[in-house]
Amino acid sequence: MRLHSITLNNFRQFKGEQRFDLSSDSIKPVTLLFGANGAGKTTFLNAFTWALYGTLSQDMEQQQRLVTDSVWRSTPMGDSAEVSVEVVFEHEAQHFRALRRARVRKESDHQSPASPEVALWTTNADGSSEIVHAPQEKILSILPRSISRFFFFNGERIEKLVEKSAYSEVQQDIKVLLDLQQVERALDHLPKLDRKLTADIRKHGGDKASEIQAAIDAFRERESTHMQDLKILESDLATLNDEREKVTELLRQHSTFAPVQQQRDAVTEQLALNRRALEMTLKERANLVATRGFLAFTDDLGEATSAMAESLYQRGALPAPLKREFVDQLLAEGRCICGTALADHTEPWKHVTEWRQRAGLQAVETAWQRLRGQIEPMTAARVDLRDLLGQIVKRIGELRSLVSRLEETKSELDGKLRNSRLDDVQALESKRIDLDNRHGEKQRRIGALTAELQRIDKDIEQKTKERKNAEVTDELAAKARARSDMVQNVRKALSEILEIRSERMRRRLDAELKQVYKSITYKNYIPTLSEGFELSLHTDVDGVQLPVGKSTGENQILSLSFVAAVSKLARELRQERRAEGEPPEDAGTYPIVMDAAFGSLDQNYQEAVARALAQMAPQLVVLVSKSQGLGKVVAELNPYVSHLGVIEAHSSLSSTTEEDIELRGNAYPYIRHAETDYAQLKEIK
Amino acid sequence: MKSSERTEEQVVQELNAEERVFLKRVLEIERAKLHVSAYDATDDLLAVVKEILP
Repeated sequence: MRLHSITLNNFRQFKGEQRFDLSSDSIKPVTLLFGANGAGKTTFLNAFTWALYGTLSQDMEQQQRLVTDSVWRSTPMGDSAEVSVEVVFEHEAQHFRALRRARVRKESDHQSPASPEVALWTTNADGSSEIVHAPQEKILSILPRSISRFFFFNGERIEKLVEKSAYSEVQQDIKVLLDLQQVERALDHLPKLDRKLTADIRKHGGDKASEIQAAIDAFRERESTHMQDLKILESDLATLNDEREKVTELLRQHSTFAPVQQQRDAVTEQLALNRRALEMTLKERANLVATRGFLAFTDDLGEATSAMAESLYQRGALPAPLKREFVDQLLAEGRCICGTALADHTEPWKHVTEWRQRAGLQAVETAWQRLRGQIEPMTAARVDLRDLLGQIVKRIGELRSLVSRLEETKSELDGKLRNSRLDDVQALESKRIDLDNRHGEKQRRIGALTAELQRIDKDIEQKTKERKNAEVTDELAAKARARSDMVQNVRKALSEILEIRSERMRRRLDAELKQVYKSITYKNYIPTLSEGFELSLHTDVDGVQLPVGKSTGENQILSLSFVAAVSKLARELRQERRAEGEPPEDAGTYPIVMDAAFGSLDQNYQEAVARALAQMAPQLVVLVSKSQGLGKVVAELNPYVSHLGVIEAHSSLSSTTEEDIELRGNAYPYIRHAETDYAQLKEIK
Repeated sequence: MKSSERTEEQVVQELNAEERVFLKRVLEIERAKLHVSAYDATDDLLAVVKEILP
């Protein structure tokens, strides 16, 4: 999605029709708009989301007052006033024009809530325009509403993005952004198709094939029920997780017990880390025993082998005094070493043939030598194994006692909170325990269902193989079988593709986030995106990762880093060659529109964030006031700016002090006195 | 099905020619209809199957 322009018509303080060009390229992707406090920056940001989704952000007051006040006042009673916002954009090589408008009938001085309608047109390659019949759904498929919070946001409130409660929702919608949803939809639709296809096998497939098909159908039925249950359980789990997090957050903020909760957070984290380390070490020990454990029992064997070899040497059997290969050669040549001819069955021939039985084989001797050579290194390997096992066992012991100490500390802290004399703390802790138990129960059920689904999957695979070999005489049934096999194979490939894409996407997002975050902050904090799409911040203290309590500023930087990482990754992922074939040129491109762009960040952070965003976002619209933007932000963004503008504030207040803004060496109106209050968009060329 | 080491391209390569065509068409159809939540793909997909394996 690349924005081309926005046109506001009587939208809030933007009186009359006002258009602003937003077209930009990859070299200069930035549009920078200045506006005084209250001039209309937040309204301008909201114009995008209103046009696309019909919603205004919660911080917009008097939401029903959509029509410009002065226009409303001059509208005669009984007449209607029109308000609209049009956004022209391009998405994956297609042009779109989205127009949301409402006609508000004046029945009193106060505006009543409007019912805006959205329309969407797409322009074909020949220039003709075509209406999209499900406009809202189409817009949502281009940019889902919850994802829009990553791209249209208020910098001062952006820290809300990284609140845990936001993530279960975001995880779902991020799938569209990163090209996963069509794979999920295909996985939903293919079983239905398969059922339709296999109807012919059930009807005309003959006894065996029909029976197998019926069994496959029964498995599919169970699979679909389990999948639905799993979805419900997963959403329940996410809800419980959110609730538990909210309760824990309340404990973290509690005036008296905050330190206890913080301590418990740290202990819980360390406990999890050490339990994981213990598990890994136990696995390491098991692996060592499985692969090299036999060495422990080779002590006697080595000694016995050495003794046997020694006795053979002493008896002169080793090395063999006479080699069988040498005797064979004499017999083949028909002459003894003493020169006697060895004609078959003569006395000398018989004599030499008898030597053959006594002679040793070269191969046996070589094997003996090799074996002897191995006895010594085996002893060394045994010593090595003993040392290694000793170290691992020591580590296991240390980790076990550490885990046990941490468990005791945690129990102590749990007890402090559980038995607190403060009712609110006790109630919160009881609730947390209850949520924790319910969470565990759901997790167990999810585990059981997942295992059952894997079993069903294997059963279906087995039955499909059997179906392949079953005799089918009917032509229609044979065709149905071939088609169903194709659908099955594609379905299997798609579920693997989904798994590959999801995991790769998370890992890359995590790596990208770490990199962006590091480029912005000077602190030794490391952000992590977990498998459950939760964002956390850690610091590394002597190799131990400890959670960091995030301040608003840190959450803002984390959010902005996340936005930059999501924006970059969406583009990269969509540009790669995939099962869908070649992607369009602007695949995965989304603009970022930011109000109060740098919130309450320090100057040095403002600079780093501005640089990161200008370099990473394919299109950036930044709304700032003079105080927020004229310093380092402008200096950082200036080389990338394609459109520079001012939202002129016009005030009817007689005492208004008029103000200018100096941009690129010229002064432009910033605040002006006027007969009515309104905002005027001005582009500076 | 542990895919940590496998790539999407490998998965696609393991399919035969007809299956590859079908996979591509399925994703095209689903992508084009992402905005229609009530869309039932069965008939469209059936037509594609019959086209590939007449």
